Amino acid sequence: MRRRIFAFVALTLVVSMALAGCGAKPAPTAPPPYQAKPTPTPAPTTPPEPTAPPAPAIDCMGAKAGDTLTLLYQWSGAEEEKLNAVLKPFVDACGVKIVAQSTRDAAVLDTKVKSTPPDVVFWPTTAPLTLYTDKLVDLSTLGANPANYADFWKTMGTANGKWLAVPVKADIKTIIWYSPANFKLFGYEVPKTWADLEALVEKMVADGNVPWSMGMESGPATGWTGSDFIQDILLVQQGPQYVMDIIAGKVPYNDPGVKKAYETYGKWAKDPKYTVGGATGTVSTSFLDAIYKVFSDPPQAMMVKQSGFAGGEIAKQYPNLKYGTDYDFFAVPGAKGMQGGADFMMAFGSSPATKALVAYLTGKEGAAQWAKVGFDLSPNKLALGNYSDPALIKKAEALAAAAGFTPDIGDTIPAPFGEAEWKAIVDYVNGADLDTALAAAAKAQADALKK
Amino acid sequence: MTPKVMKQSKWVPWLYLSAALVIMALFIVYPTINTIVLSFRDKTGANPASADCLPGQPCWGLFENYRYALTDPEMLQALRNNALWILLTVPGTVAAGLLFAVLTDRVRYERFAKTIVFLPMAISFVGASVIWKFVYHLESGGGPQIGVLNAVLVSLGASPVAWLTNKSWIVNNISLWVVWIWLWAGFCMTILSAALKAVPGEIIEAGRVDGATEWQVFWRIMFPVILPTITVVATTMTINVLKVFDIVFVMTNGLNGTEVIANRMFKFIVTNQGRSTAIAVLLIALTIPIMIINVRRFREQEKMR
Repeated sequence: MRRRIFAFVALTLVVSMALAGCGAKPAPTAPPPYQAKPTPTPAPTTPPEPTAPPAPAIDCMGAKAGDTLTLLYQWSGAEEEKLNAVLKPFVDACGVKIVAQSTRDAAVLDTKVKSTPPDVVFWPTTAPLTLYTDKLVDLSTLGANPANYADFWKTMGTANGKWLAVPVKADIKTIIWYSPANFKLFGYEVPKTWADLEALVEKMVADGNVPWSMGMESGPATGWTGSDFIQDILLVQQGPQYVMDIIAGKVPYNDPGVKKAYETYGKWAKDPKYTVGGATGTVSTSFLDAIYKVFSDPPQAMMVKQSGFAGGEIAKQYPNLKYGTDYDFFAVPGAKGMQGGADFMMAFGSSPATKALVAYLTGKEGAAQWAKVGFDLSPNKLALGNYSDPALIKKAEALAAAAGFTPDIGDTIPAPFGEAEWKAIVDYVNGADLDTALAAAAKAQADALKK
Repeated sequence: MTPKVMKQSKWVPWLYLSAALVIMALFIVYPTINTIVLSFRDKTGANPASADCLPGQPCWGLFENYRYALTDPEMLQALRNNALWILLTVPGTVAAGLLFAVLTDRVRYERFAKTIVFLPMAISFVGASVIWKFVYHLESGGGPQIGVLNAVLVSLGASPVAWLTNKSWIVNNISLWVVWIWLWAGFCMTILSAALKAVPGEIIEAGRVDGATEWQVFWRIMFPVILPTITVVATTMTINVLKVFDIVFVMTNGLNGTEVIANRMFKFIVTNQGRSTAIAVLLIALTIPIMIINVRRFREQEKMR
């Protein structure tokens, strides 16, 4: 008897779980916010082996074939393969043997730096710059070419008057996705200034269209879409220095400038005339659904402000749509700088092989190869003209035209500030008092930045 | 054979106990003490808590982390919500469990009915939260409602409701409490059902012979007999609900007025050890009185036997 009951329970369980499984809409597999990074795969791909003909343009700086070069970076899987493709001409030319380690763990980096520092580190923040200022080698002594980088990049990579970090890869977030087909249908033009954008939004409302899709639900990270949008508004209204001052704690998060940006955002995000579902839609719609709504048939909104990864999500959801005609993006008009993520190269070694790598990546050949491989964007000015992917070409132009570059505020100020920022946004959109919401975030900012 | 075998020196019981004591010391006593110590340190654990005080802000010195735990608006919201969780879900789960226990006691397919009610216990809390997130889903814009609850509302001609992101925090909390009751009612039912079955048939029969209605039989006979069990179930549920985390973390992450103590603690685990441990100590302090009640009740029952 007892056994039969157990069998029955087990059967009911299996059936009910199967039913639950059928009923559920396939859960959107959320890519980690900000940059769509692939999940880390432990198995590193083999670094490129030195093979045949030496490309004469690459200066090996005296590195001999067989010299080892140790690298440490966060890339793995497809990203690591792209890096290896970028490095292949260099390895072929100089015969350097690359020994790479892939980790996302800052503790591993710390242990390595304190025991056996890698020759070259690629890191997605400039945090090592402040942590290891004395151990890092000035890049200008390693043959890096400063002329190839915009001034703001050099400022970001300089500590104690020494140029210690140079960006090798960047992705931009300050862009708005739209459907050129829909814009053509209604006779809308891509705005050139912020005033143009505001006028366009009003025109869309007058036409009975919903201009924005602003959904920002993202599980425990709910709110980050809003924080990206607000940072872009800050870049328009205040400029990149202001954003950097927030990150440094010189400007409190409840400064009138921040409040103004929130109000600009809230005017759209809280009103069903301006965004799908109004305030409720903004807080309850997942950020992926928010992207889809602009490209559905019929479209539920005209524009969505989202980072570069949105292009891939649109292509996945609507395989029939074509980039350029059915979906495209433009840089947030009037932004006095770009928001995005960048990976920086820093050197702990000064061997000939290290010099050769630094010279290669900061020079003409490395930049061209980076663009050809299409490993996001290369901040190196000489990369322009070498991209083949149309979306990357456009992003590269936007980045090249940028007067500044700021990392994400919430990601850069130590945790848990990011969550406090998201909470302030969600609270404000859902009707809480703005001053109270910002005061809580400003307190978290002060707490987080307190040394 | 020889009485010597029966004699044990004084340390033998300690020998038998040692394994348990070592494990207890290692995994319960040491972490608890360390948690209390850390709650008086700053966010890194390297300095006294007063190091985290900000100039121009109120500061409780060594008790700085407790200032946060007891006065910060977010913590006050969490404390309020936890109190409401106890006040509403404990009676909710016990009442639902008791109702199911009484009703299933009277039907032929008792085992089947009980299995159904107990099933949610077999699902992980995170899984259940995801399922309920779909139930509560709100589709903004023109698309069809894919969440069961809003689909029903719309088909009845009503407008859909934001169950988890409502402007009214009480709605969001009620949505979470429903999930909790759904998850735990089966557990309460199982224990209460066993207690009901232990009520001696003779006294029920005697009551019926004396002309008591079924209502009277339940309230005057069964209920007083199983009251100790109900108390145990209620205190157990209170301790459980004080620690509520999974459902809140997955479904709302404490946003829109649904913050709870454990979620606050989790937020600071990596970034601010001092605050995180101070919240943990607060949680322990809140749990202890209920545990004392539970232990006392248990002792009384032991005495009666």
